Amino acid sequence: MPQLIKDLLRIKKLDASLAIFIGIILTSVLGSMLYATKPLAIVGPAEQPPSVEFPLGTDSWGRDLLALLLAGTKNSLRIGVTAALISLTIGLVIGVTAGFKGGIIDSALMLVTDVVLVLPSILIMMLVAAYLRERNPFYVSLIIGATGWPWVARAIRSQIMSLKSREFMYLSKMAGLKDVRIIIEDLLPNMASYIAMAFVLLMSGAMIAEAGLSMIGLGVTKGVSLGIILYWAQILESVRRGMWWWFGPPGAVLVALAASLLLMSTALDEYFSPRLKGG
Amino acid sequence: MNQFIRFLARRIAFQITTFIIFLLVIFALPRVIPGNPLAVILNRIYQEARATPELVRTVEKMLMKEFGFGKPMHIQFYEFVGRLLKGDLGTSIAFYPRKVADLVIVYLPWSLGLLIPATMVSWIVGNLLGALAAYKRKTTVDNALLPVFLTLSQTPYYWLAMILLYVFAVTFRIFPLGGAYSRLMFPSLTVRFVLDMLRHYVLPFSSIVIAAIGGWAIGMRSMVIYELGADYVSYADSLGLPDSKVLRYVFRNSMLPQVTGLALNLGLMLGGSLITELVFSYPGTGYLIFRALSTLDYPMIQGTFIFLISTLLIANFIVDLIYVYIDPRVRTSYVGE
Repeated sequence: MPQLIKDLLRIKKLDASLAIFIGIILTSVLGSMLYATKPLAIVGPAEQPPSVEFPLGTDSWGRDLLALLLAGTKNSLRIGVTAALISLTIGLVIGVTAGFKGGIIDSALMLVTDVVLVLPSILIMMLVAAYLRERNPFYVSLIIGATGWPWVARAIRSQIMSLKSREFMYLSKMAGLKDVRIIIEDLLPNMASYIAMAFVLLMSGAMIAEAGLSMIGLGVTKGVSLGIILYWAQILESVRRGMWWWFGPPGAVLVALAASLLLMSTALDEYFSPRLKGG
Repeated sequence: MNQFIRFLARRIAFQITTFIIFLLVIFALPRVIPGNPLAVILNRIYQEARATPELVRTVEKMLMKEFGFGKPMHIQFYEFVGRLLKGDLGTSIAFYPRKVADLVIVYLPWSLGLLIPATMVSWIVGNLLGALAAYKRKTTVDNALLPVFLTLSQTPYYWLAMILLYVFAVTFRIFPLGGAYSRLMFPSLTVRFVLDMLRHYVLPFSSIVIAAIGGWAIGMRSMVIYELGADYVSYADSLGLPDSKVLRYVFRNSMLPQVTGLALNLGLMLGGSLITELVFSYPGTGYLIFRALSTLDYPMIQGTFIFLISTLLIANFIVDLIYVYIDPRVRTSYVGE
């Protein structure tokens, strides 16, 4: 294992993506502990450009945008992780069951998967969120997580299908091991790298989805996230009134987070499937 | 030909199944979520006293009738589908007493006019750039392009829209601040109006195209790199075929997954462009949904979504047809060419 980590750390793309990603996490976590201003407190005059006192300026209510950005980043990350875990769990359960059992169970599960895949997730999310009056971060994660899993299920299924025909599977079956044990001991470890990549991609997708939901007015109803800051910036016309410090930073942090996650998964993908490196 | 028809029939059956499941979701949501959302709207109308008592009663009666609460579930669903088949999507609350279908018909063309050309242009340009990057892999061209693609593919259209609007309409006043045409103009087919419309079109269109190029380019780049490692490429090389000819084969083979990708990404692109409309106050369905959400206009929300999903399923079907047409394997087996 240590050799694997050493090898992985030698990939420049992976190092760069980890540096950006961990850098942002540390800044938001440590920053919101060290930075004294409370995120939702009204602390100064409204709509001030960045200054020494307010490093990222203030919004129309006179709240400190740096404090909001730190807290918002932390919450967006939390929603991203929770939603990704939910999608990954659903995708794994469906993909593994379909691939392992085959037959009619497989056909039925894949039909469900295809239907969810075709229904545009962002519209379904909007529709569900529209009927919820209170949306806490967990609900938002749940809505995002419940629609993001189909491609994971499909990919996991095809991985299982190809693993199923390998020799060690016959050995395990001949040894009379239970299905669950075969899945946990033989199949999942063989897909570890793939599961890691899927998680990374799900997480970036979930954070972008959170921002999209918030922008249309369906984000968390209490508290702040990157999407919620963008939403406030949008409804209070920050762009037309030239307040770049309001809509700029949250979008930049979101893009940096999501792009570093995508780079991370690309690097992992190239390492684990060498043909993509293109020799 | 027979097989081709069977393939089409299977796809149509799948699309219809999907649509019915979607209708079930739309139907079930207001009925299963605790705290009856419709009671919330009525309460809100009462409290805000924005309406006269008679109007509140009319709206209440209309809602009770259209949602059919109190009747058994299967009858409610039967009536819901029945009205839908007649093209009746209900009456808007926010724009009472206008019909939802009449409103969506006015707003939908603006959304489609933005989304369809932007999708097509970004798909073509993205695929070309992705293939270029793959061809030039391990050179400065690819090293410079790849980070740009990665960043763009993760940039929400609406955020790029905010930046473009800030730079090109607020800082440098080259383009208008929003809308689909100038306020004093009336939609008509005159040169002056079309030019004015195009001037309003540039920024929303570019935001979507530029941001969407990234994703297509990344997909195409890895497909082409993958194909370049295939046996037929080394074989063609060893035969001494010119590079350009080999590349044409590689490009065609890499295009196929990108067509499937087009079908899968349409929903995501639609979602993104709806929010982009908000940034530009563009009079499309995004604006309609936003209005409906902020006034809890549930008939309007339902109706707009039914319209959008139908459009997407039709688009999906068209992509299926294109796929059959361009994939020689599928074409020969189905059409028997």
